[in-house]
Amino acid sequence: MSTPELVTVTVDDREIRIPKGTGLIETALACGVEIPVFCYEPRLGAPVGACRMCLCEVEGMPKLQAACTMTAQDALVLRTAQTSEKAAEGQRAILEFILLNHPLDCPDCDKGGECPLQDLTFRWGPGNTRMHFPKRTFDKPIPISPVISLDRERCILCYRCTRFSEGVAEDMQLVARNRGAQSIIATFEDEPYRAHFSGNVTELCPVGALLPATYRFRARPWEIDNVPTVCGLCPVGCNVWATTREGKVARILSRNHPEVDDGWLCDKGRFTFDHLRADDRIKQPLKRVRRRGFDPVAWEEAAEEAARGLGEAEGSVVVAFSGGETNEQAGALARLARQGLGSNAAIVPDDLDPAVDGFRAPLAAIRDAEVCVVLGDEPVVDRAPVVDLWLRAARRAGADVITIHPAGSIGVSPGSAAHVARSLAEPGTAPPEFRELADQLRDTQRVALVWSGDDHDRGRRAAALAAALGLGEGSGLYVLPRTPNGRGVSSAWRAAGEGRGEEPPEDGEIGALIVSGDEAGYDPRVARLSERARFVLTTAMFMGDHTLWSHLVLPGTSYLERDGTVVNLEGRAQRQRRAVDPPFPDELEFFAEVGERLGLPVSPRPDEPSPALQAELPPRSRPGALSEPAPPPSPNGTGPGLELVTYRSLFSGPGVERVEPLAFQRPRAELELSFADADDRGISTGDAVLVVGADGVGRELTARVNRRLRAGVVRVADEHADGFARHVEVGKV
Amino acid sequence: MAKGPRQLLLEHADERDLTKLSEYEAVGGYESLRKALDMEPGAIVEELLASNIRGRGGAGFPMGRKASFLPKPDQATKPIYLTVNADESEPGTFKDREIMFRVPHALIEGAVITCYAIGAETAFIYLRGEYYTEFEIMRAALEEAQKAGYVGAAVAGSGASVTIVIHRGAGAYICGEETALLESLEGKRGQPRSKPPFPAISGVYASPTLINNVETVATVPDIIELGGAEYAKLGVENSAGTRVFSLSGNVVRGGNYELELGTPLRSLIYDIGGGIPDGRELKAVIPGGSSVPVLAANEVDAPLDFDSMANLGTFLGSGAVIVIDDRACMVQLGLRVAQFYMHESCGKCTPCREGTRWMVQILKKLEEGRAEQGELDLLLNVCDRILGNCLCPLGDAAAMPVASYVAKFRDEYQRHIEEGGCPFGAESSLAGVMAPVDQHHAHMRSQIEVPVHEFA
Ligand SMILES: Cc1cc2nc3c(=O)[nH]c(=O)nc-3n(C[C@H](O)[C@H](O)[C@H](O)COP(=O)(O)O)c2cc1C
Ligand code: SF4
Ligand code: SF4
Ligand code: FES
Repeated sequence: MSTPELVTVTVDDREIRIPKGTGLIETALACGVEIPVFCYEPRLGAPVGACRMCLCEVEGMPKLQAACTMTAQDALVLRTAQTSEKAAEGQRAILEFILLNHPLDCPDCDKGGECPLQDLTFRWGPGNTRMHFPKRTFDKPIPISPVISLDRERCILCYRCTRFSEGVAEDMQLVARNRGAQSIIATFEDEPYRAHFSGNVTELCPVGALLPATYRFRARPWEIDNVPTVCGLCPVGCNVWATTREGKVARILSRNHPEVDDGWLCDKGRFTFDHLRADDRIKQPLKRVRRRGFDPVAWEEAAEEAARGLGEAEGSVVVAFSGGETNEQAGALARLARQGLGSNAAIVPDDLDPAVDGFRAPLAAIRDAEVCVVLGDEPVVDRAPVVDLWLRAARRAGADVITIHPAGSIGVSPGSAAHVARSLAEPGTAPPEFRELADQLRDTQRVALVWSGDDHDRGRRAAALAAALGLGEGSGLYVLPRTPNGRGVSSAWRAAGEGRGEEPPEDGEIGALIVSGDEAGYDPRVARLSERARFVLTTAMFMGDHTLWSHLVLPGTSYLERDGTVVNLEGRAQRQRRAVDPPFPDELEFFAEVGERLGLPVSPRPDEPSPALQAELPPRSRPGALSEPAPPPSPNGTGPGLELVTYRSLFSGPGVERVEPLAFQRPRAELELSFADADDRGISTGDAVLVVGADGVGRELTARVNRRLRAGVVRVADEHADGFARHVEVGKV
Repeated sequence: MAKGPRQLLLEHADERDLTKLSEYEAVGGYESLRKALDMEPGAIVEELLASNIRGRGGAGFPMGRKASFLPKPDQATKPIYLTVNADESEPGTFKDREIMFRVPHALIEGAVITCYAIGAETAFIYLRGEYYTEFEIMRAALEEAQKAGYVGAAVAGSGASVTIVIHRGAGAYICGEETALLESLEGKRGQPRSKPPFPAISGVYASPTLINNVETVATVPDIIELGGAEYAKLGVENSAGTRVFSLSGNVVRGGNYELELGTPLRSLIYDIGGGIPDGRELKAVIPGGSSVPVLAANEVDAPLDFDSMANLGTFLGSGAVIVIDDRACMVQLGLRVAQFYMHESCGKCTPCREGTRWMVQILKKLEEGRAEQGELDLLLNVCDRILGNCLCPLGDAAAMPVASYVAKFRDEYQRHIEEGGCPFGAESSLAGVMAPVDQHHAHMRSQIEVPVHEFA
């Protein structure tokens, strides 16, 4: 990188040398001068100069200028309200206008106490009002979705929310309507704001106009604690504040990490916290007494029972991890199994090959890439939502974003990722479009390679592609794990014994099965194993189908109730802090009890030195042997019926499913089909269609024509695809 | 030597139906285009610079200079566009309408020459939505010009190619502001952009764009015909050429008149316009459209040119001269003007959005005779707090004229307070001067009857 040209700028008589082009708000800040702003927010793109709060005097210009729209140029002399009476008068004028029709209802506004408008008014605003006319009124508050409410009287029309919707999330759902003094913020066609990132507007809004409905009248700033922690719901690991009041989580806010999340959260991360208080939360150990019946037992008895069941397994123990545990929890369980019980078998999600780490780069590097390639059938936004925002930012910055999946910019059959990756790595005989792409990628300095699907080579196929393309400085490989801390859990498992250990035995009886967490319980492989286990020990937050086969169920904790470390998809170790105490001993404490009984010391606190997660990064090189990629699935039309591809919606999972206000975000009972297939069958969006699997299972779904979807492929969210085979027939009802 | 009427742009339009291509050609139409195509593009821009023509849309920026801010065609990384501002919506202004109505080919010819000069292959004409008849005339003229090969690929047999797209607005005054126009043209909400970047660098579709008013562009063929230096001799210093003035209000013969710049305002009102009807007295004149400060009756000897108007603290603006007689209540006028701008404020920036509404509230109270003394000062202070603080000039366009009405006719405002009502009572009339906003609404809803011009 070339060193930026430095220019001399004077702000309120203070001179500073600063890189040319730095925004004047930042330049002033570097001089220790704060210029008040409302609409200015660099993360939303180019400044718009709408609110006029930042008016300043610039030498040589007759009129006051919106400082937020200007950048540092040599010899620029800026006078803010601190030293220019003209600027001060301008600022007073704007603040008066902003407050003119504002309801001034701070005492019952949730934003009160943490409101930029309140703060700026307090510091620079008039002490009284000259407005003696009726103020503008609107109906309020308006629920723009079950999780967000809008108070149009408080809105100062800074257009931050609409700019986010249009220019960051690109969901285009928030709009301004009418003009002049009657301008209002609204959702397009008054439909609920249903999008993956909607909640961010409640943090962007500089007043109490857009507020989380879930926080309405729940707390005041002086009675809350904001606990810095890391979201544990997906492998991005966004940095968050958990706002707690009286021992309860009341709200989640972003704690901007510019390399990881840039201050954005998805709605799952923001609104799922209420699952802590779900009705079916397990609060004490449960022991199966009769078939499908559980009785609460004391902790002592539970520990005894666990030690007995595990001890009697005589080394035939399988651990099924969720991938949501902290490294320390996983480490304790792994040592218990591998060192204490002499077992080496586990189901470990996302056990990525270390070769992947050779191409590590911060997520923010995606935005600076020249070309981004996304491979795999899982929608990025559902697997690692914020990665989708980075990709959009890259596209806006001019990058080529190439998606390769059944609905991608290059449409391929479902399950082709490994095959495409080999074509790109060894383009000799590949189809021309892949040859051209491979050439382009080799000639590009900054490439972001995102793998969003299951790789049976544990990331090695992706790493091999990265190596073949010669990904270097400025480039990165992002293999999106399925689970939030799958990478940390697998490292912890490996560190506790001899490498990866074994797969669970294919058949025969198992002495004991430890199901760690609800997500593991949801795994069908685990369900099948449990049928063969003499003793099943489950830790889970909720009662459900997945706990029914257990002999002993222990209450599990949420990521908001734990202390420990986790590893995100970049391979970055981050600390989770306990925002609220779980209403019972946590898993670590329990396993320490069990360990003691089995003669293996396990610390009840996350103070064990965590395994060497951040050890030397492997060099950027080719990984070891790769399995032969599955041949590309049969081309369109030749298979029986349409090929079904399913995906896991972001708004699925044991926690989010228990949050009532998020119910509207759950995947719809919808079947996406290509334009050609819809046309053939006379189906249009909104039609009821009957979907029949090869095994005769039939279900009615609503059709949605997706023009980007490849012909011959249909797509359904997991929860609505239950029981369907790989191919389905679709007909209009 | 006093200046007076001088027909250049509207030459022959009284005698012939110049909307027809054959008629336009018969009086030398499209000759300038042929002449221009024989010149180097850069040489045409030089002629524009030499002509000293200033924009006719309101701000009066020299057209040649604006054109020279564009990147040279061989250095541009994106296509260059011409956008013709035909959104004409300022109260009192109806000259572009007359030009499109009567000499549509002059606009087309000017647009093609300008495109050739700046290296643009596409020109957009952003036409006020309510101008439906004008749209049809323009469309018919464009079709004829296309058929005749003046527009399209290989213009008039040359290597140049120019496409003209007529885009109809949807009824917003703000879309006449150049950057709001570009937003609207791109299909977005019509709101001004923050400048810089200026349209010459990043305009429509983030590409270099030249934006000029209908009259400015339609004058280009005359400049090419006469030569820039010759054109510059017309008018007075700093105000070259002729302008089409829209004369309206309390005057006997309202209408559009093409005059050499520098013609005395008095001569337009009395000699050409026939003076004030019904033996009434002249009270005030708005010289450049509703957004400019007013002139008192004793200021009408000033010549109509940029500098003279500036010396009187006002502007030539869009060339709309609104004559106000002694029946008009200046408080009511202030209210109507403020209501118009409140209604047309786009709502993007705070001072204009909030300030115009507040102005209307105060003015209404004043007009109804309910205001207290302090509220007159408040009104002036609100104007002051809007002035110079907005994102685009619309806020100023509300504050400036109203502040000028108070400054020049303060006694009338004072009497409203002291007498607790309008001193003009039922006598007050703004008929023909400025319609109230609700009437404006009614206009938008019904199709306006457009008078058809009779040809001798
Ligand atoms: C609120 C507002 C409305 C305007 N409306 C028009 C208009 O209707 N027609 C026009 O030509 N210029 C209008 N302008 C001026 C344009 O912004 C721009 O200066 C002009 O089109 C440039 O052309 P010119 O240089 O040929 O005058 C308006 C400006 C403002 C601030
Ligand atoms: S709702 Fe909030 S963010 Fe949106 S425009 Fe209004 S004040 Fe700004
Ligand atoms: S001055 Fe008025 S019209 Fe112009 S940007 Fe501001 S609100 Fe919109
Ligand atoms: S902060 Fe600069 S205009 Fe809003």
